[in-house]
Amino acid sequence: MLNILIVGNGQCGNRILDAINREAFGKKSRFGKYLSQQKYKSNVETIAINTAVNDLKEMKFTKAKDRIHIPHLHGVGANRNVGKHVFEDNKTHIMRQIEERGNFDVCFVITSASGGTGSSFTPMLVKELKEKHDFPVYSVVVLPFREEGTLYLQNAAFCLRDIRESGADGIILADNQYLKQMGGNVESAYNGINDMIAKRILFLLDALDSEMMMVTDLGDFKTVMSGGAGLATIGFYEAKEDMPVRTAIQKALSPSGLLFSTDVYDEASRAMVIIRGDRERLSIDEISTEVEKLSSAVGHVFKGIIVRDGELPQVLAVLTLESASELENLYAIAVDAIKYERDKKERVSNVKEVDRAFSQIDGMDPSY
Amino acid sequence: MVRTTRLLTFTLCMIFFCIAMAGNASAAVELYNGSITTGDGYQVNNFVIELTDAFPSAESASFYVYNNGNEVDDFLVNEDDSYEFDFEDDATIEVTLLSVSSGTLPVARVSIVLNNYLLNDVFESGVVDGGYKYAVYSGTPELKITKTIDKSDISAGDLVRVTVTVENVGDDKATDVIFQEPQQAKFLLYESFVSQTGETTVEVGESKTIFVYQLKATEEGTYTLSPTTATFSNNAGADFPQASSNSPVITVEKGEDLVNADIEFTTTLDKYTVSRNEDIQGTIKIKNTGDTSATGVTVNIQVPEGLEFTGGSGVETISGVPTIYLESFGVQQEKEFTFTLKAAEVGTYTISTENSYLYDNGIDAQLQKVTSDQVTNSIYVTKGKYDHLLEQPIYIYVVPLVIIGAIAGWIYYRHKQYKF
Repeated sequence: MLNILIVGNGQCGNRILDAINREAFGKKSRFGKYLSQQKYKSNVETIAINTAVNDLKEMKFTKAKDRIHIPHLHGVGANRNVGKHVFEDNKTHIMRQIEERGNFDVCFVITSASGGTGSSFTPMLVKELKEKHDFPVYSVVVLPFREEGTLYLQNAAFCLRDIRESGADGIILADNQYLKQMGGNVESAYNGINDMIAKRILFLLDALDSEMMMVTDLGDFKTVMSGGAGLATIGFYEAKEDMPVRTAIQKALSPSGLLFSTDVYDEASRAMVIIRGDRERLSIDEISTEVEKLSSAVGHVFKGIIVRDGELPQVLAVLTLESASELENLYAIAVDAIKYERDKKERVSNVKEVDRAFSQIDGMDPSY
Repeated sequence: MVRTTRLLTFTLCMIFFCIAMAGNASAAVELYNGSITTGDGYQVNNFVIELTDAFPSAESASFYVYNNGNEVDDFLVNEDDSYEFDFEDDATIEVTLLSVSSGTLPVARVSIVLNNYLLNDVFESGVVDGGYKYAVYSGTPELKITKTIDKSDISAGDLVRVTVTVENVGDDKATDVIFQEPQQAKFLLYESFVSQTGETTVEVGESKTIFVYQLKATEEGTYTLSPTTATFSNNAGADFPQASSNSPVITVEKGEDLVNADIEFTTTLDKYTVSRNEDIQGTIKIKNTGDTSATGVTVNIQVPEGLEFTGGSGVETISGVPTIYLESFGVQQEKEFTFTLKAAEVGTYTISTENSYLYDNGIDAQLQKVTSDQVTNSIYVTKGKYDHLLEQPIYIYVVPLVIIGAIAGWIYYRHKQYKF
């Protein structure tokens, strides 16, 4: 049994972590936590870290003892510099909380790249974990909507770079911009994205610790994640009634099944495909055909099959990327955002009109 | 031999004692043994034996006998001779001249013996100075008591005035007169105007009213009034037989203005078969079908154990008994009261009511009280809808409670686990 640590940093990380914990109960109902136990295959410890207490209070399916509040007013205001200072000040406390939970085989740190707490804490936390432990640390990073503002784009750009430099064993990308295609209002869209990510991670955790017809394990996952440019994404699809498993694999690898927009046959470096479902629905020929098709494009594909009686075919694909044109687009926008913010700051510091206005009353006192 | 002698002596003593006791009525009793001066006399009741002449030299004396001042006999006797004359009834008086002596007035010494007379009946005896003219004679008072009524034919409820008078038609004053007026059955003493109480006297020829009162007839019929009686004595203190009045007859017909309050009590229930813990609605109807109003109308509802009185309109619980009380209840008035009972225990029950009321029937001085009891039909209380739950063994309740408690504990535990 694997010992797995999942850390949710910041508001986005907390929500995805809570969604994972809710999905683990197996019931969508808010009363699921009263009616059942979490169905993790592995020994999973979850920790939510945030500087905003209200974000922690909103969590419903994560135990109170697993929510760590870092006192600093109410959040760091999307300022990564402040966030880094706060982490530095509370690093000992945070690390102690993690170490109290024992040793782990693998760790996932979930965060938004654009926010304040998550984007500033995650690189430093990954660095600390890597320095003190020898288990692989993967970061699940959610990229912002492109129109969310220059600060978020700037944060996302620097955060991704920092994580990559922190020693993370891999970065799994989820792009809000790409996932907003699912529609709905803002709240349902966020919840939908969170659920989508949670479901994929749970499937992955389940796959890493299950008995399989064809085995893929943590070692395979590490190999996949070590390929390419250190960036990865996950594709997933659950077949509808009477849908052949071949179609389900194609859908999982198609843009609609991925968390990050990419052409897997063009940009992927390594892949792991895990298929789960009823024995009768899992056609080896169809699976082999699709996997071969993928491997002919990306090189090596790890293949795992989990037999579950009565279940429709579900396909999870973990893909590391050699290149990411969408990420380059993001950074191009981010560079503009960074320049815009720098120019604005310089403008403000150069323009002294306000100071001149105040200087008119220098040396004077009010009379009453 | 000694024993026989003793028995004989005892027997003779008893015979002598009986004869001695009987002698009070028939034996001779010496009333006087002494001297009588010429011109004086000796009085026994209304008889006076007067010494008219005494002859010492002839050792004889002459006597006259008077009864109520009238000479009835005379005789001359020598010393040691006796003379006997008739006294009252069958009695006689025997006078024996014992001696004669001379003096300013000659004196005779005599013995006077009364024969065949009760000594207790002697109300006067002794020497009378001056002879019969100075004797005090006692007469015979005779009381004539008359009871009259102002009407002899009346209706029930009518009043009749009774007047009782007395007249002394004897020749002596009646003393120590005590009148007795007995109560009259079927009549009520309505009002008394004159009432003679205690001892009184009635002079010779005197007539007086001793009772005047009104009686109220209560029932139809012919009734003879009880006579008024009187005990009395004469002036000398001699008692006389009791005098009685006449006894008027009164015929009482059925009265037309006798009225009644006739109250009907009806108790009904809305259902007679109920499940345990259900309510039973009871209704008590009270209606006065009589021709006069009633007072103090009371209905006590006797609720058996197994049923519980839970309340009612106009029904108060007094000393634990649900009670309806109406101070007055008019003619043809009708009232309805409802009450609620709760079937507490399984069983068969009846509700009984104790009813009572008072009314004035227009005749009797006191209010008439009418009581009655009523019992409803049987009420069958069957098992309640959930009674079978109570009949289950204890674990039937404990197990779910433990499960519920465990669930509650689990929910609380989980809530605390996830409460941040």
